[in-house]
Amino acid sequence: MKRKRLAAVLLTGMLSMGLLAGCGTESTDKGGDEGESSGKKTITMMFQGVTAENDFETTVLPGLIEEQFPDVTVEITKLPDEQYYTALKTKLASGECPDIIKVQPRHAGANAVVSLAEAGYLEPLTDLEFIQEEPDSAKEDMTYDGEVYAASTGLSILGTWYNKDMFEENNLEIPTNWDEFLNCCKVLKDAGIQPIVMGDKDMFVTQFGLYQIAANQLYPENPDYDEQLASGDASFTDEGTWDTILDMYNTLYEEGYVDESSLGLGQQQAQQKFIDGEAAMTFDGSFSHAAVCADGSAEFERGFFPLPANDEGEDTYACIAGASGIAVYSGSENKDICKEILQSWFGGESDIYSGWADNDKPIISWGPASENIDPLFQLFADMYNEGKSYYFCNQGWPSGTENEMEAKFSELIGGQGTTVKDITESMQLKYEDLSGN
Amino acid sequence: MKRGKKKKSLVFPGRMYWFMIPALAFFITFWIIPVFQLFYYSMTNFNGINYNYDFVGMKNYLTLFKEGTLINATKNTLIYTVIMVAASNILGLALAMALNVKIRGKAFFRTVSFIPALFSAIVVGFIWSYVYMPNGGMISSILELFGVQEGTFNVLGNYKTALYAIALVEVWKGFGTTMLIYLAGLQTVDESLIEAGRIDGCSEWQLIRKIKLPLISATITINVILSIISGLKAFDYSFIMTNGGPGKSTNTLMFTIYKIAFNDQMMGKASALSVVAFIVIILITVCMLIFMNKREVEL
Amino acid sequence: MKKRKAYKEKEATAKLTPGIILLYIILILFSLLIISPLLIVLSSALREPGNMESPLLLFRQFSLESFKSAFTQMNYPAQLMNSILITVLSVVIIILLATMAAYPITRIKRKASRFFYFFFIAGLVIPSQMVIVPIAQMFRNLSIPNTRFTPMIMFVTCSLPFSVFLFSGFMKGVPEEIEESAYLDGCGLIKRFFLVVFPLLKPATVSVAITQGMWIWNDYFFPMVFVSKSSQYTLPMGMIQFLGDKENPAQWNTLFAACVLCAIPLIVVFAVMQKQFINGIAAGAVKG
Repeated sequence: MKRKRLAAVLLTGMLSMGLLAGCGTESTDKGGDEGESSGKKTITMMFQGVTAENDFETTVLPGLIEEQFPDVTVEITKLPDEQYYTALKTKLASGECPDIIKVQPRHAGANAVVSLAEAGYLEPLTDLEFIQEEPDSAKEDMTYDGEVYAASTGLSILGTWYNKDMFEENNLEIPTNWDEFLNCCKVLKDAGIQPIVMGDKDMFVTQFGLYQIAANQLYPENPDYDEQLASGDASFTDEGTWDTILDMYNTLYEEGYVDESSLGLGQQQAQQKFIDGEAAMTFDGSFSHAAVCADGSAEFERGFFPLPANDEGEDTYACIAGASGIAVYSGSENKDICKEILQSWFGGESDIYSGWADNDKPIISWGPASENIDPLFQLFADMYNEGKSYYFCNQGWPSGTENEMEAKFSELIGGQGTTVKDITESMQLKYEDLSGN
Repeated sequence: MKRGKKKKSLVFPGRMYWFMIPALAFFITFWIIPVFQLFYYSMTNFNGINYNYDFVGMKNYLTLFKEGTLINATKNTLIYTVIMVAASNILGLALAMALNVKIRGKAFFRTVSFIPALFSAIVVGFIWSYVYMPNGGMISSILELFGVQEGTFNVLGNYKTALYAIALVEVWKGFGTTMLIYLAGLQTVDESLIEAGRIDGCSEWQLIRKIKLPLISATITINVILSIISGLKAFDYSFIMTNGGPGKSTNTLMFTIYKIAFNDQMMGKASALSVVAFIVIILITVCMLIFMNKREVEL
Repeated sequence: MKKRKAYKEKEATAKLTPGIILLYIILILFSLLIISPLLIVLSSALREPGNMESPLLLFRQFSLESFKSAFTQMNYPAQLMNSILITVLSVVIIILLATMAAYPITRIKRKASRFFYFFFIAGLVIPSQMVIVPIAQMFRNLSIPNTRFTPMIMFVTCSLPFSVFLFSGFMKGVPEEIEESAYLDGCGLIKRFFLVVFPLLKPATVSVAITQGMWIWNDYFFPMVFVSKSSQYTLPMGMIQFLGDKENPAQWNTLFAACVLCAIPLIVVFAVMQKQFINGIAAGAVKG
């Protein structure tokens, strides 16, 4: 009897221990044959986005790095935004964060460089040679508490993609102020053409128009608006700030310049309508270059201009921000190699750099790659260098504020009785809630 | 059975509890402890990544209540659940009754109804996003054949319909399983009882109401409870198809929790909502169980 | 058993009354309604990736191009192997743990048993997305690395409530007398459990294997959180790569081909074991 009891205890105990540990041990063995047994170090990277055909990050980059660093094996995963945020956060919590990760400038997104650096998850890169060569604006985007935490991958631009052929047929030129822009829409609408198509089902697209208006109506007069928001000296509900911006943008919906069914279209479907020649314009970003320039059922020439939300007689400002950054996880065991990889990637002379410049076609205003910038974006790069641009508003806010704005704005255009005042009030409430005051 | 077994059983001694250890180890380590951790986080301003957080007491709960998130999410979840429970049970039961009549091709219809259940939620989400697309989607293309203008059919973009539209997707995926369970329940009904009823001159409806339904009341209970639980946990289609939109009209409890935790980076607040959601789910499930058990006895 | 037979005989003798014909018409229309989205998926997947004509024109082109491109982009064979391995292993462990847990719960008539029963069942109502961050922290505290097997821990844990519930329900139906006589024959607890009780639970085992296997196969959440290398992904994780985003819009035809590829193994298994599926799902709920 006793022996049997002992056996039972042992068996169950062993089973449970074995099961608990089994996953662990089995896998360390696995990890062993994949990397360390051959003396190679495995560097894991996790990027944000969707793998395209001939995708640079997933198909080209690993080969280039392995060529230059023969004792390194690169393991790359790429996840769409929502999945990336979840995976990053849970991997940080489980202590299994990849060595190299993608971050967003300032406060933008759930992988904002500031919040990650604040929590101590990022390795400072300030001393690396290539960081020193970046322009100050690029460094500032990735700075927290005096240290630079990520390598900037260039610029990201919000603008208005337009159908040049349609503009020519209707004798329209690129507008230079808000009234001219509204007039453009009117002419197109009278000619039976849908002036603007937006995929408002993907609520984030409301940012594309609104931020361009903010870059003209808000920041030129008060460049420190976001700092004042943080200190409590300004509020979204202040008159002449966001109420004006939202009003202006809403005009486009009230006048029917934006497609009526916009709330049922996703961004991709909106892009499809644009390239099929069913609408003359769409607010989108440089990041959608491939999608809006893909072949659709209509053939026409594409153009890209900054939304002239300025009053007559004033300059137009563009909405340009640092693109995402590449950062090193502070808990990584291979920090030094990772830094070397980044130095070689962004240093400007290596094969990795040229491979990146050729395949990924970054929009960058510094370094050798700036000479090959796509002509579509040249105007914007010039504006950036002249200081005629402001960053994306959400980069100055705690992540999540923009979601409130998007949700409330789509309530407004969905006819839910929401007013502009309701939007600014909820934005302010959300802002205060998120910043923990 | 319940009493009189006070003396220790020789056949089933207490040391049998050792068998439970492995399962308990998993369950407590990876489920119960994290859940309690959640209760603790709900009273902090933890953001999910930074471990320098403060204790804030009931503030998270109050904010949730004040800004209306709680009410909105609970309301959406309840509507979603009611639609789903009602539709999939009525549909499942009706179909099971129809298939219980002796007809040929029963296996075929059964298979067809069950096939959607085999697909991953993510696949189902893709498929239905396409079906609902206002321009060139399946339904709108069909409507176009009948002269309805393109772009008019826009259920996911409409505040009033989006929630119903995604609930319908869940019904599409789930009613087959419900139907199978009903079918099994109906097959346990003794044919002779039905025959007896028929001889007594009961109409077909009376047969269903007075004999079949009471006899499968246990099956009804289990089906309703299972669909309530899955309805209250609704997450997938808000996540894949609408992202909570338009506005906040498809923010279910689970999706709101997810959004607060991962987009707004407010783990503390998300935990508070989780705790509330947890209580809501348990309350509803228990109430339903009690209610259904009572009905079962009455029928 | 007898009843079943009688029932089958009657099935063959059904007459074509107007009522039955009406029933057929309704059933056929209804089936069409249910199956139509899937037909479109299949038809679109069989087109070339660039073919954008209206998807309602069913089966006008037969090309395997979309499948090929989905197949290579997903690295299908590797992901299929991962999916099979993870699903099968998880299911085996779940069955073992859940039957073992259900055994004392149903056999020992004490308050503690009822407590444990409800303790496990309470887990049924907590969704995993809710607790994922504390769970991830627990993984760090135990220093469990990310591997292809890590999600299994969560698959097993999350399946326990339902499986224990089901096995307990079933075990109540296994007469205690069988065990009493085994006890008198001098059979020890462990032997009795594995040789006498476990075989009698076959219907419940099938039921658990099918219901739990189905969700584990289709789950993308835990692999997303606990797997770091794309070579270790399961099929639903591979699917996620086909989701479009702002830089690369979804290619519907390839996406649909990927959907079909992801679902096909399960459909094949279902086709082969239809009876087990149907009985398993039904038995689970009715007896549980």
